[in-house]
Amino acid sequence: MGLWIQISPGSNEPVYIQVAEQISEAIAKNQLASGDKLPAVRKLAAELVINPNTVARAYSRLEQAGLVNTKTGSGTFVADPKLRKADAADINTLAERMDTLISRGLNLGLQAQDIIKVFKARIDKFVGQSNKKEE
Amino acid sequence: MPEIVLETEGLTKYFGGTLAVDHLDLQLPLGCICGFVGRNGAGKTTAIKLMLGLLRPTAGSSRLLGCYSEALTPAIRQRIGYVTEGHRLFRWMSIAELERFQRAFFPKQWDDKFFADMIEYFSLSKKQKIKQLSNGQRAQVSLALALAPNPELIIMDDPTLGLDAAIRRQFLEGMIQLIMRQGRTVFFSSHILSDVERVADRIAVIDKGLLKANCSLEQFREAVKKVIFSFTDSAPAETDIEGLLHCRRSEKELEMILVGTDKEKIADCAKSAGATEYKIVPMNLEDQFIEFTAPPGRKKLFQWEEI
Repeated sequence: MGLWIQISPGSNEPVYIQVAEQISEAIAKNQLASGDKLPAVRKLAAELVINPNTVARAYSRLEQAGLVNTKTGSGTFVADPKLRKADAADINTLAERMDTLISRGLNLGLQAQDIIKVFKARIDKFVGQSNKKEE
Repeated sequence: MPEIVLETEGLTKYFGGTLAVDHLDLQLPLGCICGFVGRNGAGKTTAIKLMLGLLRPTAGSSRLLGCYSEALTPAIRQRIGYVTEGHRLFRWMSIAELERFQRAFFPKQWDDKFFADMIEYFSLSKKQKIKQLSNGQRAQVSLALALAPNPELIIMDDPTLGLDAAIRRQFLEGMIQLIMRQGRTVFFSSHILSDVERVADRIAVIDKGLLKANCSLEQFREAVKKVIFSFTDSAPAETDIEGLLHCRRSEKELEMILVGTDKEKIADCAKSAGATEYKIVPMNLEDQFIEFTAPPGRKKLFQWEEI
């Protein structure tokens, strides 16, 4: 599996969030497809030289977000995207995160239209990558 | 409740009139890696020596694997690994001689193959004399010696002090490998917060001999917060908020370090203090540690004159 995760201790983000975010990104880009198995907790911990509890914590965060399912005894698998559910709070968090980017764009002197264009191009690239993988 | 493998109760040590360790109450559950952090002279080494029965406490007690530290039997000692600060090893011995010497203390559980593999992995030869080795190589030998008996509890006193990044990483790998085995526990002191963050799942903070925190790393990361209240006019001298550790005031802002205060409380307090705006500033572990152990109202080291 082409999954590589970069750990930066000393960052503001706790290590378990760093792991969870990078796996989320791989799922969004379809580098990890529905049904793919995540590395075993202990194996990933040894590879990344982090505490196994940290990996377990990252996996349970992904599970809470509906991105993976854990089957007792057989491992953790990427969930079916159709079964993922976003509630109002999730969408609100997403919107808040966009604020940072919007203010950067405006500070660069871009118009609202230009920012939307950049967003659009970026999303196309993202989705394009995941479609290529599916073919 | 998980089994407790290391426990101190009111552990206290005076050196003459100087209080080095002050009523330490520490409990360490089985199966964790605990980073023991504190500033220079906070009492880490003394606390570790007391735990191992190498120093007699002035008051209080400590137990390892259920056995009082002053009365550790050879049978219990065989289940405990200890890495001293500075990796002091007998300089006149070769690695092979040192192995033979060390193995005698752990006759049943010494893993010859593991030791040989580690020495090879470190590109060392058993014929080499300790006095010919660099600091880093001595640290590697000391790690191999500590892990070869497959201890249940390993206590390391600042094992990565003065080591380069690559050898430090090997130490961390060693800790992770050990913890993967069933029923193993690691307690290590360190000044390198990023190492602690990488491998530890618990943290114990000691400051001037007093234990200030003993919790999961995650709880610590969440508990210590920097909060800034902004005011339109001048900021009040202080504000009454639960968990306030210290407070710095500038003209229109109040910067506070809070411990264990939840977000709702912060919002309520900002409102009642009359702040126009407040923000919670993200901090990394090192910043949290520095703020957590800084004396309140500390002065800046230098104050540049304004031109």
